[in-house]
Amino acid sequence: MPTITIRRRELARLAGRAIPIDVLEGLLPLVKGELKEVGADGDELKIELNDSNRPDWWCAEGIARQIRLHDGKPVRGLPGRMGRRVLRQIRVLAPVTPIRPFLGACVARNSNINQSLLDQLIQTQEKLAEIFGQKRRALSIGYYRLDPLTFPLTYTAVEPTAAVFTPLGMDQPLTLEAILDEHPKGREYGHLLRGSSLVPLLTDAKGRPLSLPPIVNSREVGEVRPGDKHVLIEVTGTDLRLVSLLVNLLAQNLADRGATIEPVEIVYPRTTPYGRRVVMPHDISRSMTVRRAEVDAVLGERLADGEIARALRQAGHRVTAASGRWTATPPPYRGDLMHPVDLIEDIAMQRGYDRLTPELPATFTVGGLSPETRLEEQVRRWMIGLGFQEVMTNILSSHSDLAEKMGAEPPMVELENPLSLQYAVLRPWLLPSLLRVEAASGHAFYPHKMFEVGEVATVIEEGGNSRKSRTDLRLAAMLAAPSAAFSELHSSLELLMLEAGAAYRLEPAVHPSFLEGRVGVIRIGEQAAGWIGELHPAVLERWKITMPCVAWELDLNRLRPAARTSRRPAGPSSRG
Amino acid sequence: MSQSIEQLLFGLHPLERTVLAVFRDEPAAWDHQLAQRTGLDESRLSMAFGWLLSKEVLCVEQDRTSKFVSLTELGRRYATELIPEQRIVQALQAGTRLLIPDLRERLGLDQLEVSTAVGNLKQHGVARIGQGGVLELAGVGLPSQVIGEQGMTGLIGLLAASATPVGEETLTENHKTILEDFIEKRWKTRGIIKLHEKVSKRFALTDLGRELVQRLPAESAAGEVSQLTPEMLKDGSWKGKRFRKFHIDLKPPRIGAGRVHPYRQFLGEVQAKLVSMGFQEMRGPLVESEFWNMDALFMPQFHPARDIHDVYFAKGLAPADDIDPALLERVAVTHERGGGGASTGWRYAFDRARARQMILRSQGTAVSARTLAGGPRVPGKYFSITRCFRYDQVDATHAPDFFQIEGIVLDPTITFRTLLGLLKLFAVELARADEIKFLPAYFPFTEPSVELHVRHPKLGWMELGGAGLFRPEVTTPMGVTVPVIAWGLGLDRMAMVAMGLHDIRDLFATDLEFLRTLRPPSVSIETGETGPGA
Repeated sequence: MPTITIRRRELARLAGRAIPIDVLEGLLPLVKGELKEVGADGDELKIELNDSNRPDWWCAEGIARQIRLHDGKPVRGLPGRMGRRVLRQIRVLAPVTPIRPFLGACVARNSNINQSLLDQLIQTQEKLAEIFGQKRRALSIGYYRLDPLTFPLTYTAVEPTAAVFTPLGMDQPLTLEAILDEHPKGREYGHLLRGSSLVPLLTDAKGRPLSLPPIVNSREVGEVRPGDKHVLIEVTGTDLRLVSLLVNLLAQNLADRGATIEPVEIVYPRTTPYGRRVVMPHDISRSMTVRRAEVDAVLGERLADGEIARALRQAGHRVTAASGRWTATPPPYRGDLMHPVDLIEDIAMQRGYDRLTPELPATFTVGGLSPETRLEEQVRRWMIGLGFQEVMTNILSSHSDLAEKMGAEPPMVELENPLSLQYAVLRPWLLPSLLRVEAASGHAFYPHKMFEVGEVATVIEEGGNSRKSRTDLRLAAMLAAPSAAFSELHSSLELLMLEAGAAYRLEPAVHPSFLEGRVGVIRIGEQAAGWIGELHPAVLERWKITMPCVAWELDLNRLRPAARTSRRPAGPSSRG
Repeated sequence: MSQSIEQLLFGLHPLERTVLAVFRDEPAAWDHQLAQRTGLDESRLSMAFGWLLSKEVLCVEQDRTSKFVSLTELGRRYATELIPEQRIVQALQAGTRLLIPDLRERLGLDQLEVSTAVGNLKQHGVARIGQGGVLELAGVGLPSQVIGEQGMTGLIGLLAASATPVGEETLTENHKTILEDFIEKRWKTRGIIKLHEKVSKRFALTDLGRELVQRLPAESAAGEVSQLTPEMLKDGSWKGKRFRKFHIDLKPPRIGAGRVHPYRQFLGEVQAKLVSMGFQEMRGPLVESEFWNMDALFMPQFHPARDIHDVYFAKGLAPADDIDPALLERVAVTHERGGGGASTGWRYAFDRARARQMILRSQGTAVSARTLAGGPRVPGKYFSITRCFRYDQVDATHAPDFFQIEGIVLDPTITFRTLLGLLKLFAVELARADEIKFLPAYFPFTEPSVELHVRHPKLGWMELGGAGLFRPEVTTPMGVTVPVIAWGLGLDRMAMVAMGLHDIRDLFATDLEFLRTLRPPSVSIETGETGPGA
C-alpha cells in the first residue's frame, strides 16, 4: 500500500488546526494510516496508508479533509449537477473505444501551482495510477496548463506514426511509435497498448498533441510548471465509474486548496452508463441505508441515534435519519461502499475502536489437532528418541538441488514466474533438504543424525497431459558419518515401523541417487511407501559432501491407516 | 613426590597413555604430528592435551598462529552460480536493458549485492550509468583481478573445491591481495570469505612428564584393570583387582542428541495454546487455486496483491476441479453485482477460468475459506499454521516460504466486541502483553477490520495480528449465516527475539552446529502459572 511524503505544516494548514506529532499519531487511525518516519526538521512525514479501497486518503488533502470532517469543520463541495454553465468540451471518437474507452476531465482555476504543490500533485498522480489504477492499466492521470489549450479537445486513436511530439523528460520530437520504444515510460507501460494497431491520442482544437494516454504528456503543449494558475485535470481508463471517481477526487483535492472547479463536458461516440454526454465532475454516489438492528448486531453495543448520525457525517456522508434507519450519501470522491457493513465500519472508526469494550466469546468449543499434525508429533517423538536432530527447511527450492544434484528427475511443481532460479520449484521429496543441511555442516562434529518431517508437493500425472499437485506429508532421516552403515539406519526404520505398527518389507530396487545393491523400496503391504539406501558417491560429490551418507524417506500417508486410532478425529481436514 | 607419580600413573586415561607413548621417542612434538602418530581425531586429542597440561605432564613449548580461509554460505552460492558482476555483464551482453532498480528483480540480487557489484563495475570501467539510469557496457571486459584464474572467481573456485579451510600461506600473491581487499574494504559489505585463525602448538614433556614416561611401560604391565567386565562379575575374578582411578572432573566427550527444532518447538507451543483455547486445527494444500486463495475471500481479481509480482503461479498444472460449480457461480456474481443481497459487489467482469488457475498458497486464509465452504461447526473455532509463499526478494526479513498462523470463529453471538475480546486474549496468552491497542485496518475480506498492536518487553510497540468480521460477500455464497471472525497472527518476530536471531532465514537454517546449539525459544510463551517471578 502507498507510502506518501507530505509536510506537517501543510497538513495543519489544510486541516485548519495545529498538528504536533503526538496528536498526528492519534489522528492517523482515522485514515488507516501509520507514521513511518519523521524528517529531522520535524516537518517532513512519511505516512503509509493501508486501505487499498480508499484512494482519497492517499494524499495530504485527503488526510486533512478527514481530520476536518472528524472535527466537524466544513469541506467545500464540488459544483452541483444543476445550473452550471459548461464552457469546455472534449470529444471522444470511436477508434479509441476498443483500446481505452473512457476519459474524464475538469478544470481547476486559480490552482496557483508552486513547486511544492506540483510535487504533491505528481505524488498523488503516481500513487493513484500505480496502485489504484493497476499500474496504469485501469486508470491514468494527466495534468495540463490550461491557458495554451484550444477547446474542444479530441480523444481518439491513431496510427503510431501519425503524430509527433516532444514527450516530458526529452528534448526531441518523436513519433508515437518512437515514444513507445524509447521513452522510459513507453518501455514501462507500452505493453498496455499492445494488441491494437492504433494508439490513443489527446489533441486540442488546433490538432496539437497533448498526450499519449496512458504513457506520457507532451512538454510542448500544456506542461504544468510552477507559476501556472489554471490547470486541466484528465483521467483515462477502462471503467467509467472509476474514471469519474478519480476526476472527483482530484477536483476535490484542488478545491480544498482553494481552486475553483469548472466542469468539462465529455461527448462519447455512443451512449455510456451515464449517458452520451457526461459533464464532469459527475456525482457517482449512490446512497445506502443501514438499520439500527444491523449496527447493534455488528458492534455489540447500542449507540444513541444521534451518535450514529454524527459518526456517519464525520465519515463524510450526507445523512437522513428516520425511525431506526439512516440513509447515507457518500461524498463524490468515495467509491468504496458496497454493503451496509461498510457504513458500520465508518461509524466504529469515527467513534474510535477504543470506545468499544472487548468481551470474551462466551461459547464453549472443543479444541484439537488435525490427524496429520498428531501423526507428525508422534513420529517426531520417535525420531528424537532414536537420537536424530530435527531440521526444518524451506519448501521452495531449485531444480539443481532437487534433481540435477540428485541425479534424478522426479516430477515437480515449477513456478511460472520465479524471482530467482534458486527458489523456482516446490520440493517433491525431503532427501535433498537433508543433503543441503549436510553440505553446510561439514564443520559440525560427527556423526550427523538428522530428520525432517514436513510437507512436499507431489505431482500426479493423470491421463493425457493433465498434471495435478498433491500435498503429502513425508518423513526423512539421514546418517552422515565416516562409517555410516546401511544397517544402522535400517535399524532406525525397523524401530519406527514397529512403533507405528506397520508391517513393511524392503525390496531391492534401482534408484539413481543411491548405490546399486544398497538401495530398496520400502513397502507397506503392497504399497510403495518410500526409499532407503546409501547415497551414491556421485550425488555426494555434486553436493560437495565428503562424508558417507545413508538415508530413508517415508510417505506418512502410507503410515496413517496403521498408526491411526479407531476413533475418527473431529473437524475438517482438507488436503487437495 | 614418588607417591604422586604413583597416583598419576594410576589415574592415566587410555587417551593420555596413547599420547604419552609418542614421547618415549620424541622429547617434543607438534599437535599435527601427534595426531598423525596416535591416529586420534581432533576432539579426542584436544581432550588428552587438556588433561596432560592441567596435570603439568606436558607443557606448550612453542605456538604459532596460521590463518585459514573458507567460503561463507553466500560465497558457496557464488561458486555454483556466477558472481553478481558476471551476471550483470552477461545480461548486458545479451542486450538486456537494465536500470539499477531492475537488477534486484531481474537477476535475483539483493540491495547490497547490487550496490557493491555496480560500484565495482564502475570502478573497473566495465560499465557506466547512461541516460535515464540505464546501465551500459563501456567496452572493457571484466579485468583479470575479477574473473581470471588468479582473480576473485578463481579464488572462490579454489576455496569451493576444498572440503576444509585452506591455509592462507598456500595462496598465490594475487589471491592474497584479493583477500586483503575483501577483509579490509568489503568485509562488512559482502561476506563471501571467512577468515579463521588456528593456533598450532608444540608440546614437550615437563620434568614430571619425563619421569612418568619412563615408568609408563612398567606400569601398564602391572595388572591394573581399567574396565570391569561381565566375565569378572561371573567368575568373581574382580576380587582383589585394582581399578584405574578416573579423573571424574574432566570434561566429557561431546555427543549429538535427538532434539526438536527450536522453531518447531515454538510453533508447537503456539499450537498447544490455541488448542487450549478451544481451537480445532485445519490443514490445506500448498498448491492452491486462485478460487480458495482469493476469489472465495472476495478479493477482486484486479486486487494489487493478486499481481504476477505478488503471487507465485504454478506452471502447467490442470485447472482446479475441487470447486463446486454452483459455489463458483455464486462467488462470481457476488464479485460482479453483489449476488442479490444488500451488496453492490465490485462491479467488474469476473473471470471464471482464472478462479481455477493454480498458484502457491499466499495466505493461510485459503484454508479458512475451504473450512467455511465445507460445513463448519457452529459454534466453532478453527486455526491453522500454514506454509505460505509470496513473490518477495529473499533477504533478512523475507524467507522463501514462511508460516502464517490464522483462523476463524463462527458463533451466532459474535460481535465486533467479541472479536476485540479474542484479540486481547491472544495478546495476553501468546505475547504476555498487558498493554494493547486496536487500530482500524483494511483487508478485502473483512469489515470492520482491526489491527492488534501490543507492547512487547523487548521490541516495544509491534503489530501482533490483524482481524475482522468476514464480509457478508464472503460468508453468504458459502451458505454460512452466522457472523464469522477471521484472525491472523504474526509471531515470527517474537520467535526470533526469543531465539536471539536477526535474520528470518535463520529460522530455516541449514547449519547443524547452529541447530544443535540454538537456544530454544520457549521463554517467549510463558504460561505464567509456573516458575518464580513469572
